[in-house]
Amino acid sequence: MTAAGAGEVLAALADPTRRQLLDRLATHGAASATVLAKEFPVSRQAVVQHLAVLDAAGLVGPSRHGREVRYGLHPDRLKATAAWLTALAGRWEDRLAAIAEIAESEPT
Amino acid sequence: MSTDDITRETRIAAPPQRVWDVITRPEHVGRWFGDAGADIDLRPGGAMRLTWSEHGTALGRVEQVQPITLFSFRWTGERDTEPAPGNATLVEFHVHPDGDGTRLVVTESGFADLDKDRAAQESHREDNVGGWSHEMNDLVEYLEKLTV
Repeated sequence: MTAAGAGEVLAALADPTRRQLLDRLATHGAASATVLAKEFPVSRQAVVQHLAVLDAAGLVGPSRHGREVRYGLHPDRLKATAAWLTALAGRWEDRLAAIAEIAESEPT
Repeated sequence: MSTDDITRETRIAAPPQRVWDVITRPEHVGRWFGDAGADIDLRPGGAMRLTWSEHGTALGRVEQVQPITLFSFRWTGERDTEPAPGNATLVEFHVHPDGDGTRLVVTESGFADLDKDRAAQESHREDNVGGWSHEMNDLVEYLEKLTV
């Protein structure tokens, strides 16, 4: 995953309503914007907009069930983002270890 | 506004002044950050160059210099690119005396702003009121929970 790709995911996750939508889809499976709007204290239009941001970030995707379009979680992008962040933190741990080694081994 | 960050810390058996020198002097930074040298103009707004023998050069810009407690800079992982909104993250080093040694805390933030699509970024920013204040561990935990 690229930094820009992870950035897009993190920007999508920055909104609490969108995180709650993801929680909802992860826990209870795919749902339409109409169904989600009944469960959330926001308008259907707002739900549609949030789903569009999540869809653009690759975190959810639509599928057609008869006349209904349901949105479901796409876990691959979330997993890739978690792995990206873990790798990034690992690099800082390596850098801190290198700083400590230099500071401790070579007196001023 | 920082919407996300990674924080790591370590204890170092060396005095704060020594640790400060290692995190700010090019001859040291060129070893623990890049592996093929660094240039740092150590003042707010000063230019930084971090060089890797196999990955080229990354550019940064010094933000804050408060000897010997705080050093921060913005940098971009995109090679040979000036740091700018949308491509750079903020790195902050806090140096704390700790007995006869030092506690060094590093925070990198601003990942949610790494977004090449500026139009999308603006639309994100408008509804970013709630913010993302979780630490990285919380975020990873959250992401992993979602994907179980």
